[in-house]
Amino acid sequence: MVIQNYERINLRKYLGLAAGAALLFSLVACSSDNQDEAAAELTIYSGRSEEFIGTFFADFETQTGIKLNVRYGDSAELAAQLLEEGANSKADLFIAQDAGSLGAVADAGMLATLDSTVLDLVDPQYQSDDGSWVGVTGRARVFAYDPTKVTELPSSIDDLLDSKWSGKIGIAPTNASFQAFITALRQLRGEAAAEQWLTALVANQPLTYEKNSMIVEAIDAGQIEIGLTNHYYIYEVAQSLGRAINVKDGFFAPGDVGNLVNVSGAGILNTAKNSAGAAELIKFLLSNESQNKFVTDTNEYSVLPDLPAPKDLPSLKQIGSPRVDLTALRDVAATQRLLVRVGLL
Amino acid sequence: MPKSLSISAVAVILLASIPLGYLVIRATGSGIAVAAEVIGREKTVTTLMTTISLALLVAFFALVIGLSSAWLIQRTNLPFSSLFLVLGTLALAVPSYVSTYAWIALIPNFTGFAAAVLILTLTTAPYVLLAAIAALRRIDATQEESARALGLGPTQVAKRVIWPQSRPTLLAAVLLVLLYVLSDFGAVSLLRVDTFTRVVHTMYKATYDRSAAAVVAMVLVLLAAVLIYAEQRARGRAVAAKSGLGTIRTATKIDIGNKKYVAVAYLFVLSAASIGLPIYVLVTRFIAVSNDLDISKLVSAAAATVTAALAGALLAMLFAIPLGLLAARYKSKVSTIAESAILVTHALPGVVIGLALVALGSKLGFLYQTLPLLAFAYAVLFLAKAVGSVRTSFARVPRVFDDISHSLGNSNWQTIRKVTIPIAAPGVITGFLLVFLTAMKELPATLMLRPTGFDTLATEIWAATAISQYGKAAPYALLLVLIAALPTYLLSRPDRAQVDQSRENVGL
Repeated sequence: MVIQNYERINLRKYLGLAAGAALLFSLVACSSDNQDEAAAELTIYSGRSEEFIGTFFADFETQTGIKLNVRYGDSAELAAQLLEEGANSKADLFIAQDAGSLGAVADAGMLATLDSTVLDLVDPQYQSDDGSWVGVTGRARVFAYDPTKVTELPSSIDDLLDSKWSGKIGIAPTNASFQAFITALRQLRGEAAAEQWLTALVANQPLTYEKNSMIVEAIDAGQIEIGLTNHYYIYEVAQSLGRAINVKDGFFAPGDVGNLVNVSGAGILNTAKNSAGAAELIKFLLSNESQNKFVTDTNEYSVLPDLPAPKDLPSLKQIGSPRVDLTALRDVAATQRLLVRVGLL
Repeated sequence: MPKSLSISAVAVILLASIPLGYLVIRATGSGIAVAAEVIGREKTVTTLMTTISLALLVAFFALVIGLSSAWLIQRTNLPFSSLFLVLGTLALAVPSYVSTYAWIALIPNFTGFAAAVLILTLTTAPYVLLAAIAALRRIDATQEESARALGLGPTQVAKRVIWPQSRPTLLAAVLLVLLYVLSDFGAVSLLRVDTFTRVVHTMYKATYDRSAAAVVAMVLVLLAAVLIYAEQRARGRAVAAKSGLGTIRTATKIDIGNKKYVAVAYLFVLSAASIGLPIYVLVTRFIAVSNDLDISKLVSAAAATVTAALAGALLAMLFAIPLGLLAARYKSKVSTIAESAILVTHALPGVVIGLALVALGSKLGFLYQTLPLLAFAYAVLFLAKAVGSVRTSFARVPRVFDDISHSLGNSNWQTIRKVTIPIAAPGVITGFLLVFLTAMKELPATLMLRPTGFDTLATEIWAATAISQYGKAAPYALLLVLIAALPTYLLSRPDRAQVDQSRENVGL
């Protein structure tokens, strides 16, 4: 009888490894459990990236001593996560990159009404209509263009339907800001007219991109001449590429729907354990110091009435944002259905 | 069947079915009318067509590339064959979103269906390569020689000797490829191909209406179920066995003469496309914008990645062992259904699993957004990979050993512990490495479930690329590929104990 010699794996070695790993991860798990520490803590869900808002959080921590636990993510995904968490959410504050995400969370009744000392700081146009969230910075819709190729600037979004722009326009239909613009279009002109405009745009064969920054990069690379995006992307792309780019921001005529000014904003959760701290953070972000920093560091607009615009750009008053209720921008579902109907999504 | 085995198996099945249960609850949440309307949309139908064609094309090309590479490496006198094996497997270390960014950086208009086929083929071909190599190694050359002696030509030998024995392994690999394509998000979202995963993701992001998104995800589940059933039918009940004594003789390598230059060029191009290009782009971007590199952040992200992936892989193996034993030794309708449920979960987009565990975890307060829950998410996400290799390795332990063990006085459980598991250990370790590797690259579920402040290399890459700072993402991506290269290398090494394992008869 011949029995082959099967190699016996030394199980002890692997069991030891497993035990070590188990010990390691239980240690890490325990160390990340902050729940029982002192009340001077704040849990934030931030749809704004750490790169841009991290320094503000660090300054706040130094000034007040409140420890910030920040969860960074995509605004819409964080909103979906908050909705899923519901009453069990651990978050105190939700900072979103657009009004739509805030509106969705507010709709589910999860945001607490803000104190008037906070709401009074900001123009009513840049906050929710029921006091559940407030804008922190302004983000203007613009058309980014190649100044060497585009000599006659469009004054209205309808100008883009002209056949001379065929194949030269860039848009980002999956992007929240573009969808907010289309929602505003539906609000101002009605469903039928909005669909008409979109159909005509599609007939002009625009190129679609996943991200706004890709639109700006494409203009710089000469693939397209003009693109619908937000005002700060030309700065963002120049920074990431480490050089000056051949792209400028242009604004439509004042009042045109293409000049929509959206906001990034913040709201306090109903389930917040530290509402006072959350309110303090919002006031900090709305202070003159922070707002000036937003203008110079991230090139965004301030929501305070008297502060200057980012360099080389017109002020919010000069832009002439169309009169649209920002809260209504949360009706993204209908906008998405429209975009599907015209074939952009 | 030992009672403890059936209890543990049932427990694992229940845990692994949480995401599916969540989907069903959400999908039916808005009522049947809404569900029917969502399914009937033209968009849903076109998405179905796109997803199926993408999956089938990728599977086809991955099979062609994997098989041809495996044959060249294993069966011919190709120079640098072990190097090409390592390179071929190394593509597993590169996440699909990283390689997509690299290709887009190189070719600005790189987008669309064909691009997705290319990227996904390069990403999944290693699975087929590994499976084909393992299958080819196990085939006894004496069988092939006998066939030739009986007058069969090379194609006939391939058809009647090689194919039947390698079929189960290859089919399992093809299934994994198909399910991977169904679940991939990184590549298809960047290349703007509307597969189910991308559509589900967009719906979650835009509508905040999780019902409609869940309905679409259910269609994905059904598609996955169809594929799994098809693979099970195709696999059949075949378990390759060899009658007669002696060890396997490895086949002599075929001399391909001057064609070896063509072969080397072919494999070189494949490696360049799947690994060379991404690394080149990452390195150049890194050098271009490499001013402030936060070393401590890099190190902590790496530590976090490894810890979480390790925990996830350990948990996955803990789940996989009873299930694998069940499937290999006590095959029944229940075990087949359980396996199918796990495979279907493998096809689910990470965002679905993430939200399912958010819904459940947030109710559990103390567990929510902790490392154990994240490890559990990884285990559930990648259980299919673990179970597959565990099942195969348990199945290859000759049953007659169980009989010998019993005759020596061991109970069922002692037999499993002292005989079956030690022999099957190489396959178990392979499963562990696969889960470890895949967990390191995971993104959507990690974003949702990670403890606040616990950033992995994947989430740091995402954070940088979300604001288009590809240069900043580069060091994290490079480190991820580097760390992932280790388990990848281990996966490509020959399995020393495998050579003896096809024996059924010990000559009693």
